[in-house]
Amino acid sequence: MAKKFEDKVKELEEIITVLENGDVSLDESIKKYTEAMKLVKECDDELKTVEDKISKIVSENGELKDFTVE
Amino acid sequence: MKDKYLTVSAITRYLKSRFDLDENLQTVFLKGEISNFKAHTSGHFYFSLKDENSKINAVMFRSQTKNVLFKPKDGMKVLLTGRISLYEAMGSYQIYVDEMIEDGVGNLYLAFEQLKEKLSKEGLFDESHKQKIPKVPKKVGIITAPTGAAIRDIITTIKRRFNVCETILFPTLVQGENAKEDIVKNIKKAQEYDLDVLIIGRGGGSIEDLWPFNEEIVARAIYECKIPTISAVGHEIDFTISDFVADLRAPTPTAAAELAVPNMADLKSKLNGYLIRLNEGIYKKINYNKLYLDSVKNSFVIKNPMVMYENKRQNLDLLSEKINSLVTNSLKNHRDKITLIKKSYIFYSPDMIYKKYRDKIDSIKSSYVLSNPMILYKDKKSEIKNIIEKLELLNPLNILNRGYSISYLDEKVIKSIKKVKKNDNISIRVSDGIIKTKAVEVEDK
Repeated sequence: MAKKFEDKVKELEEIITVLENGDVSLDESIKKYTEAMKLVKECDDELKTVEDKISKIVSENGELKDFTVE
Repeated sequence: MKDKYLTVSAITRYLKSRFDLDENLQTVFLKGEISNFKAHTSGHFYFSLKDENSKINAVMFRSQTKNVLFKPKDGMKVLLTGRISLYEAMGSYQIYVDEMIEDGVGNLYLAFEQLKEKLSKEGLFDESHKQKIPKVPKKVGIITAPTGAAIRDIITTIKRRFNVCETILFPTLVQGENAKEDIVKNIKKAQEYDLDVLIIGRGGGSIEDLWPFNEEIVARAIYECKIPTISAVGHEIDFTISDFVADLRAPTPTAAAELAVPNMADLKSKLNGYLIRLNEGIYKKINYNKLYLDSVKNSFVIKNPMVMYENKRQNLDLLSEKINSLVTNSLKNHRDKITLIKKSYIFYSPDMIYKKYRDKIDSIKSSYVLSNPMILYKDKKSEIKNIIEKLELLNPLNILNRGYSISYLDEKVIKSIKKVKKNDNISIRVSDGIIKTKAVEVEDK
């Protein structure tokens, strides 16, 4: 997800520059626009996870246990 | 006699100048053990430095004692830099100390520099080998002590900035003899987890405390780590080998967390900004096309299409006219050409030619000369008569008839007396013969 998030943002930036300098046909820009809106929504969702991620600690046998800082 | 004896101060002054002029004694590096150390209330340090078989007095004034990082005690091994001179009052030489560091520490610094030199030669610090730290990680690994300020700062910072990201702590010894193996073990273990970035570090401490992060095996483990690493060892001023070899150095654990994860607020506002620019972009695009369409719609031609038609019709007339004139012209040309040919044909037809030549012959026949040939003869005859008369006139002998004579000397006509001498035989020609004579006398005119 991390890599994908950054890729999505990069793609978003590319679409915006294309739309802004405007040398694209109307249908092409509409297609790009809808694509971009999808990306924005996806990125937003990824940032809106419901609960805090709990931090984990690796125990001796390699298992993950919850870890809270005192 | 007495005056050759020096005073004590004179000889002392002379000795002091010997010390002060000696180049080698101006900056001296001394190694030894502190003994009878006294920190004077004035802030100056008085002690002596000794080794197995000799001792030297030492003094460190307050302005220098400030930057001594440790508390000097008798028996401590130290490294000094200073200037050696003579203390006249006591008549003893001593070292005026500028810098003092713990000798034990000294080797550590030395070891640090040597390892740093070696690894940098091997290229472990090269920028080109540094991995990029991901901007938006999902899972962050942390290698530090499970207790203490470092882990607390890292986790709280990550939670504050970007709580959607998971953190996994690999509890590790960060001090003491077997810390280095533990760090290496955990760096290897961390690579089994699908981590996006790995923070390696600890809180502040003395150079000995931080030493595990200067160990070669730790440095190599960090270098070979597949996950991008951020090192955060000690405080801002502390630099360890792992700082140089990691992909990114953070001055403190908190800073490491800030470098590892983005700030949620920033990300959200960035996304928001993109949304606005997207909408603006598409709106502008549609608007532009709409305007373009309007302008096309009320363009003149669309408004009154007949115009185009009329133009066309006009062109049509123009063209048809042109064609007609072209055709008639070419017809005329051709007709002219034909008549021309016909005429010339007539003109060069065989009976024409026959007629032409016959005429020519007739004309010749009827020419005057042919019809009266005698005329030629008459002309010729008169011509000859003229010629004869001309000849007669020119005949030199006619002159003789009128009494002239020609005198010859040796067959040559005499034109001047210069050619004649007395008694020359001269023959004179008259009209009817020659008279032979001899020159009696030659007389000038």
